[in-house]
Amino acid sequence: MSSLATPEKISMVDAALDHDARSEDGGRRLGLALTLPAQVLVLFIAVFPLLMQLYISLTDWSPLDGIGWWQAHELWNGFANYTDLMADGRFWSALGRTALVMLVCVPAEFLLGLGLAILFMDDFAGKRVFYSIMLIPMMVVPAVAGYMFFMLFQSGGPVNDILSGLTGMNVSIAWLSDPTTALVAVMIADIWQWTPLMFLILLAGLVGVPEDQVRAATLLGASWWQRFRTIVLPKMKTIIIIALAIRVIENFKIFDTLYIMTGGGPGVATETISVYIYKVTQQDLIWGYVAAIALVILVALSILVSLAISRMNAGKEA
Amino acid sequence: MTAIRLENLVKRFGAFTALKTMDLEIRNGEFMALLGPSGCGKSTTMNMIAGMESPSEGRILFDDKDMNGVAMGRRGVGFVFQNYAIFTHMNVHDNLAYGLRVRKLPESEVDSRVKAIAEFLQLTPLLKQPSAKLSVNILQRLAIGRSAIVEPAIFLLDEPLSNVDAAFRAVMRTELKHLQRQFRQTMVYVTHDQLEAMTMADRIAVMDHGVLQQVGTPLEVYNNPANLFVAGFIGSPGMNLLKGSLADSDRGLVVNLGEMGRSQPLDPELVSAVRQSGSREVVYGFRPERVSLSGTAEGMPLPVTFVERIGARTVVHLGAGEQRVKAVFDNDAAVESGSTVSIAIEPASVRLFDAGTGIAIRGT
Repeated sequence: MSSLATPEKISMVDAALDHDARSEDGGRRLGLALTLPAQVLVLFIAVFPLLMQLYISLTDWSPLDGIGWWQAHELWNGFANYTDLMADGRFWSALGRTALVMLVCVPAEFLLGLGLAILFMDDFAGKRVFYSIMLIPMMVVPAVAGYMFFMLFQSGGPVNDILSGLTGMNVSIAWLSDPTTALVAVMIADIWQWTPLMFLILLAGLVGVPEDQVRAATLLGASWWQRFRTIVLPKMKTIIIIALAIRVIENFKIFDTLYIMTGGGPGVATETISVYIYKVTQQDLIWGYVAAIALVILVALSILVSLAISRMNAGKEA
Repeated sequence: MTAIRLENLVKRFGAFTALKTMDLEIRNGEFMALLGPSGCGKSTTMNMIAGMESPSEGRILFDDKDMNGVAMGRRGVGFVFQNYAIFTHMNVHDNLAYGLRVRKLPESEVDSRVKAIAEFLQLTPLLKQPSAKLSVNILQRLAIGRSAIVEPAIFLLDEPLSNVDAAFRAVMRTELKHLQRQFRQTMVYVTHDQLEAMTMADRIAVMDHGVLQQVGTPLEVYNNPANLFVAGFIGSPGMNLLKGSLADSDRGLVVNLGEMGRSQPLDPELVSAVRQSGSREVVYGFRPERVSLSGTAEGMPLPVTFVERIGARTVVHLGAGEQRVKAVFDNDAAVESGSTVSIAIEPASVRLFDAGTGIAIRGT
């Protein structure tokens, strides 16, 4: 073949390659032009606020100061907000409380959702009706859910009535007034509202598990639990990580239901990080400090989620 | 190594009967093909043997042991799925080891048995490979190895070659038959491809519409089809089947084939069989391969409607009125469509079927 490659032919090939390279260049330019509006938009909705936040977090600026945020450099205080934050006991306990809520709620939602999803893989009477009912909590406006649970957990409310009926004793727990039970009530509300989402995502994952591989495992003598552990769970790994990541992010920001139920109280007993930020913003109005808190949280969450995603990608390659 | 017996097996799905009273004996170490068109009940039969479905009536016996109510994981059935159902999230080694690990065998034994079977199936260099991107013949070997390692009593194969392209199928067929000989396992092979059944099976069970039509060796089924369905289904092209009625002539008993005229005199053996059966209206059958061009006036003159030259052979379509005949000649046969040729049918190859029942008329 090499004897056929005359200089003339080679130059033709070169020209063709050259043409390709040039058109590729042109394609790149066109691509840039076409995506530019979207990129500018992303810049404004993601990058610009982030930079603005970083800028304000380095100042002592508050809307009460009478100057625009862009003039905040007049109140420059360097990293004082961040050093204050490190010593802010209320911030750390809010963070710890948020982590506690997350560590209870997300696994509970996951296990309940997974269990329900497994039940829904089988056929039973009224499956469609139950399926619709299952999804209702997720669609209730969180503020409405907040009022609902606020009323349920009143000391003369239905929860105590049911407990009285079950135990035969006169139960009158002041759920939302006691620091411990208030936190429990808030967690129950969150689990009630968000288990359906877990259920829905995990059901999709279960349906996607190749049935013949499960059957093959059965024929090889694997028990239900062995099949679940060695076939179903590994196949669902990606979707489980996605489901957990969504709930971890969302749960970290838990606010509306909780705020309506307890307002973060009694005292600061149910004050999560979002409630704390809200109070500092609305009551104390030190926005420079708020910006610093929010930025720390954002960085922490980003690290958490990117760790989860890198685990997911590692799983894909294996 | 287990013999399988199916007794009065029936499977109904609601009002639909997928399988009607099936009786079949599969011998120890036999390669049995369940052959039939889609919806004939062959997969249903296999799923019941595996225990994935339970029979509506009847029994399945493995070496005289009733399998009713025995869970599919405890039957000792090796199942090779149509797409092999390899665990794609595991490597080759873990796929092979799966059946042993779920039995909680010590890891040292698992390892030695995996190594042994990998050596046997020539999978040793691939043990550490992820199984998601293996080629299809490796997948077949892996699927068989994964089932074989737990030493199942029987092997069931559900159309394992249907996803393979035609050129590769011949290779896979040879390999599969070879593996079966080495394992000396009872194998049940479901297929709609008669070529697979003919080339690999010791015996073939031909099925149609949930009814077992015939059980026999490939040659028996080919040479002596039990009824019109088997006659038309087996062979490519299938047997020529012409409606006619018996008539006496000065040369002996013949079949009057209407517009095609009269057949050549029937063989004495066939004459006595047909006299015993008492049938008058018959179907006259003969293989396209058993037709030759005849130079003499003895032959049956027929117009040629179409000529297919398929390389090794020439398939000639002949027709007179309602009757259609296919004949297979050499690749260089001098036949043109539009012309008329005179054909001779090998007398010993003629088969008769009762026109009413469709059942073969045979001497006993």
